[in-house]
Amino acid sequence: MYHVVLTNRYLTSRVIPLIAVGAVALCAALVMIVVSVMSGFLDMVRDSGRTLMGDVVIELAVEGIPYYEDLIKRIEALDESEAASPLVDSFGMLQMPYPQGDNKQSEYVQFWGIEPESFARVTGYADTLYWRELDDQERRTAPQWDLRRQLTPQVLKDGLTLHDSRSDRPGIVLGMHVSKANERMPEGGYHPMGDGYWWMPAFDVTLVTIPTRTIGGQVEPESFIFPVVNEFVSGVFQIDDVRVKIPLEVGQRMLHLDEAELVDPDDPFTVIGTDPARVSKILIRAADGVSPNQLRDRVIRLYDEWVMEYAERDDLIVTPPTREFGLSIRTWEQVQARFIGPVEKERDLMRILFSIVYVVCAALVLTIFWAIVHEKTRDIGILRSVGCSRIGISLIFLRYGLVIGVLGSVLGLILAFIIVRNVNTIHDAIGRDAPVWSWVTAFGFAAVSLMMTILATRREHMLPVVLWSLGTIAMFGLGIILLFHRGTLVWDPTVYYFDAIPNTLDVPNAIVTIIGAILFSVLGAFIPAAKAADTDPVEALRYE
Amino acid sequence: MSETRRTTPTTTAPPTQPAGADFILRAHDVYKTYRMGRVDVPVLKGASIDVKQGEWIAVLGASGCGKSTLLHLLGDLDQSDPGKGEIFFEGEPINRRTRSQRNLYRNRTVGFVFQFYHLLPELNVLENTFIPALVGLTRFSYYAKRQEIHRRAEELLQSFGLGDRLKHRPQELSGGERQRVAIARALMNQPRVLLADEPTGNLDENTGGEILDLLAEQHRAGLTIVMVTHDRSIAGRADRIVELSQGRVVTID
Ligand SMILES: Nc1ncnc2c1ncn2[C@@H]1O[C@H](COP(=O)(O)OP(=O)(O)O)[C@@H](O)[C@H]1O
Ligand SMILES: [Mg+2]
Repeated sequence: MYHVVLTNRYLTSRVIPLIAVGAVALCAALVMIVVSVMSGFLDMVRDSGRTLMGDVVIELAVEGIPYYEDLIKRIEALDESEAASPLVDSFGMLQMPYPQGDNKQSEYVQFWGIEPESFARVTGYADTLYWRELDDQERRTAPQWDLRRQLTPQVLKDGLTLHDSRSDRPGIVLGMHVSKANERMPEGGYHPMGDGYWWMPAFDVTLVTIPTRTIGGQVEPESFIFPVVNEFVSGVFQIDDVRVKIPLEVGQRMLHLDEAELVDPDDPFTVIGTDPARVSKILIRAADGVSPNQLRDRVIRLYDEWVMEYAERDDLIVTPPTREFGLSIRTWEQVQARFIGPVEKERDLMRILFSIVYVVCAALVLTIFWAIVHEKTRDIGILRSVGCSRIGISLIFLRYGLVIGVLGSVLGLILAFIIVRNVNTIHDAIGRDAPVWSWVTAFGFAAVSLMMTILATRREHMLPVVLWSLGTIAMFGLGIILLFHRGTLVWDPTVYYFDAIPNTLDVPNAIVTIIGAILFSVLGAFIPAAKAADTDPVEALRYE
Repeated sequence: MSETRRTTPTTTAPPTQPAGADFILRAHDVYKTYRMGRVDVPVLKGASIDVKQGEWIAVLGASGCGKSTLLHLLGDLDQSDPGKGEIFFEGEPINRRTRSQRNLYRNRTVGFVFQFYHLLPELNVLENTFIPALVGLTRFSYYAKRQEIHRRAEELLQSFGLGDRLKHRPQELSGGERQRVAIARALMNQPRVLLADEPTGNLDENTGGEILDLLAEQHRAGLTIVMVTHDRSIAGRADRIVELSQGRVVTID
């Protein structure tokens, strides 16, 4: 029973346990925050692949895949697939409405010609469109400048169909960062410069590209004027910065992948058949519970059968290419290998760094407990002299470590949760200049501390003088830092692919961290306690 | 090996006390050697002491002669050199018991009072006093005996003039008050023998005198006391004085 009394007293009558709880909490929070942000980042990389291109991609650049509509119909009939969507893609220049000097600015873009309806079924396209009407709930919380307050449902509809309902023309949807006039606001959300004047859906843009399929001779660029109908935010900066979406038919026409008459090479006036329309990619989404690899293997089998079937038909001049001809069927992970590879390496590197952080934190906790228990050596001698057993004494510190470990890690969990949740807000605050009140306050505290220092020198004690002067220096330093702090973006979206820092707590990791923190607290208290309980009581009593 | 060890003392002394002797605690020909680095430092060299039931005995000796060592051996806080000599409590050798029996001996049979009080700084006066009574209790048996334990501790402290200091921390007390708390703790479990190691060594003459008065009162009530001191006048308060010198106990008067 004396364990309980002593543990409670040790815990409640000193500052050291509070420091220990704080240290455990900080260590646990540190690990949880770092791991959560990093693994959130890796998850985002993984998820983005799927939301951007589905699970499996059939690809044949330049040449294109003919009879794709039939192929897609067959793929969609598979149990393993949920949906499939065709697309053409290439690079081009986009002439923007906003000026650069006397001319209009041009941006380098990667365009995807898509069939919006099936594309939305394969990818998370619908959710990425940014300009839409806010619902009542959002309207209440959205900032006043948010243009979406003024929008009608038509904007989203036009974005989803890639069709400008005002002028009845094919429309274009731009990645949010394609237009350099879009500003990300600290509160979150986007606001075009010129107080909303450069809102892209109010303008036309011109896309210029070189057709991929050319028969030879001089290559003429193709251009097309699109009204901007919407903008999308995929969250992957590298994509939002360059990608634009146009209707499939327009893309096919610009790239010369549309259906054409096939003429006799010897006699250009004799039509010998039709050259079918082509697409450069087919994106496929797996049915629920089907892995990308399973789906890929199924699609490969289907494709081979399909090619065989077409090869036997003699009414066709053009037949689909076999897989030997550069046609690839890959999962999105394989497609993104170049992107994911380094990330996986980074994950390994982070694992090593995490283990170091863990070890450092564990060592810190162990050291603190070692010091605490060591300081109690004389108490242990006293307890032995009144008949306490070694085990009983070890139990005091076991309990002590347990309470501190549990309190510390729970506190750490709360701290980590709050910080991770608000990581983007915190980051944006660092990204801005410090507000005037912050350094004024710091200097105010510095002045008060200085006064207290001067007052303290008139009295006998040295400690208050030292403490207050340290306080003065600290506050003054803080004020200087705040005064000269200029916003720095730690999380630069151009470097980290994503435009926001992941802000969800990694729960499995948090559990491991909490167990680890408790374990190390208990061990940290238990090992020195066992050692102390083993020391000769007479020795322990001598200890001052 | 263990045979010879056991038989060695029996050749110089009987395994148990002679019948009829009323010695409660008895050290017979004990040795204690400390090892400092590679050098053996013999402190006790065949010390013997007989403590009679109900007597107050003072062990007088110069500083560093081994008085505390002897007291620690009597209280089984430390063990004498194996194979040489033996310590008996009520005729039973105490060196041959299990760990839990030894803990129980320290908890119930003897009570220690130290020169430097040795109170637990985080506990208040009341808790410091009753901590020995909690040893060995489970949470359940504690709640059953709680009131009894608190009452005994409070009574002890009250009789020592500390009734209004129950909730104070040791740091808030004077040296004399602290030593009184230490004595109350030592008496909490109603021990058979009180072992006092220079109980007044850290106190001024007046306060020390009060402490000795207090011990005298307990002694009158029947408590056996072994007190070690380097001060002849303090030793004079006891019934009997023995002197420790050259690692042996010599009877004087
Ligand atoms: N753990 C130890 N290691 C080495 N020497 C010790 C140890 N404990 C006590 N001594 C020595 O034993 C001698 C007797 O100590 P002690 O019993 O405390 O003397 P006293 O109480 O009579 O002043 C001293 O010389 C002391 O230095
Ligand atoms: Mg001594």
